[in-house]
Amino acid sequence: MSIRLLSTPLRFSGAHIFSALVVCAVLYSFGSPTANAQNRVSKRFPVGKNVRVELKNISGTITVESWNRDEIKITASLETPNANVYPKLMGECVSIDVMGDNRGRGDVGDVNFKIQVPQDSSVDIETRRGDITVSNIRGGLVRAHISTEGDIKLLDISATQVLAQNTIGDIHFDGGFSRGGTYQFQSTKGNISVRIPSDSAFRLVAAAPTKKIALGEFWHNGFKTLGDGRKFVGDVGDGRSSVMVTTFQGSITFIRR
Amino acid sequence: MNCEKCQELMGDLVDGGLSREDKSTLSLHLEECLACADVRNDLQSIVAFCRSHRGEYSAPPNAEGLWLRIRNVIEAETQPASKASAARRQGKSFWSGLMSRSWELSMPQLAASAAAIVLVVSLGTTVGLRRWDNARGTGPVASSPRAEAATRVSDRMWQQQQAINYWNQRVETNKVRWNQGMRDTFDRNLKVIDQAVNDSLNELNRDPHDEVSEEMLNAALNEKLALLREFSDL
Repeated sequence: MSIRLLSTPLRFSGAHIFSALVVCAVLYSFGSPTANAQNRVSKRFPVGKNVRVELKNISGTITVESWNRDEIKITASLETPNANVYPKLMGECVSIDVMGDNRGRGDVGDVNFKIQVPQDSSVDIETRRGDITVSNIRGGLVRAHISTEGDIKLLDISATQVLAQNTIGDIHFDGGFSRGGTYQFQSTKGNISVRIPSDSAFRLVAAAPTKKIALGEFWHNGFKTLGDGRKFVGDVGDGRSSVMVTTFQGSITFIRR
Repeated sequence: MNCEKCQELMGDLVDGGLSREDKSTLSLHLEECLACADVRNDLQSIVAFCRSHRGEYSAPPNAEGLWLRIRNVIEAETQPASKASAARRQGKSFWSGLMSRSWELSMPQLAASAAAIVLVVSLGTTVGLRRWDNARGTGPVASSPRAEAATRVSDRMWQQQQAINYWNQRVETNKVRWNQGMRDTFDRNLKVIDQAVNDSLNELNRDPHDEVSEEMLNAALNEKLALLREFSDL
């Protein structure tokens, strides 16, 4: 019997093949989230207003955006499953220290973050490498620091203190300057663009050895030019906030919003 | 016999050198005067002690030499004071002699003296002013502002370089743990910062008073230091 069965050629109809394909597709669709789940960490923290988020990453892209919930959601995509990512809530501060959690463990690959926070949050992010995008934040502080390469985009920001620094990469700020606020943008090799409302009032110190400083409609004759056009110092409006922009090998551009 | 006469004869009494008459007179007084009797008793006990310990306390060897040395020391201490007072006396006499002396000069001698005084005063003034200028750093010996600025920059560079060397060593130790991509990124970025440092230095060499270049140099060096420090932790 068995011999007969083995020697009989198998016949498949189109319906059989189609059914088999459907079963494979269903199995794959169930299987792939499981596989993804191994490289993804997601955590939510219920928080109040004026919360602070601190992230110390090694490598990977970071996106922070606001949402209309009193909670913080952190989603981390891990390039390799052996990276440790342990978000912690300490008082009114959510902290993610990829550097500290993986110290001495060698190469842990990129960890890409998407963080959703209440609009009034303060955001303090630093990484060794990778792009940072922060959008729609109205808190006290927005800090984006990249030790080496990566672009920084700060979009629709209205914080009283903004610090953005990288070595290679562009910096773009789009937002408003608060009264008494401080704003610093520094890149070694990158272009810095600042897009602000036309009625902005600030004291500006802008330095670029390349002499590529374009203040657009914010320029006026009261600006002091130093170093043969490599540095501009002056007030726009009543100079209620302090803005410092420095690039060593790039351009500085101010654009009206 | 009174007490004074008694105590004069006390030594002879203890030595046994008194006449019979003096001895009987002294004995009568001693029987009546308790104070003199106490003196006699003390003296007798001292003499008795010395006799019983004879030979135990010998005189120092070469006693004369010892006394000679003591005397030399005393004389040496008293001599400078006397010399100083002698010198004061001599000086006083010199000045008083000078002031009381009368001078007679001919016209040529007077002119020569006046010229000598003017020469000495002008020389002294020139030397004094030059020293004063040097002390204030405005004289020809003081370094030029250009050299000062260059020194200031090089000093700061040296200080920063010490810190950079320290962190660089730590980075080199940890570098083996990084992946190739991170090593390439670090080297590429360090090169960019070094380029910024060199550009600022070149500008400063052209114009040591260029404040913008000095600020940029500081910023670039701080950035290099920060990069090394951050990667030493990786």
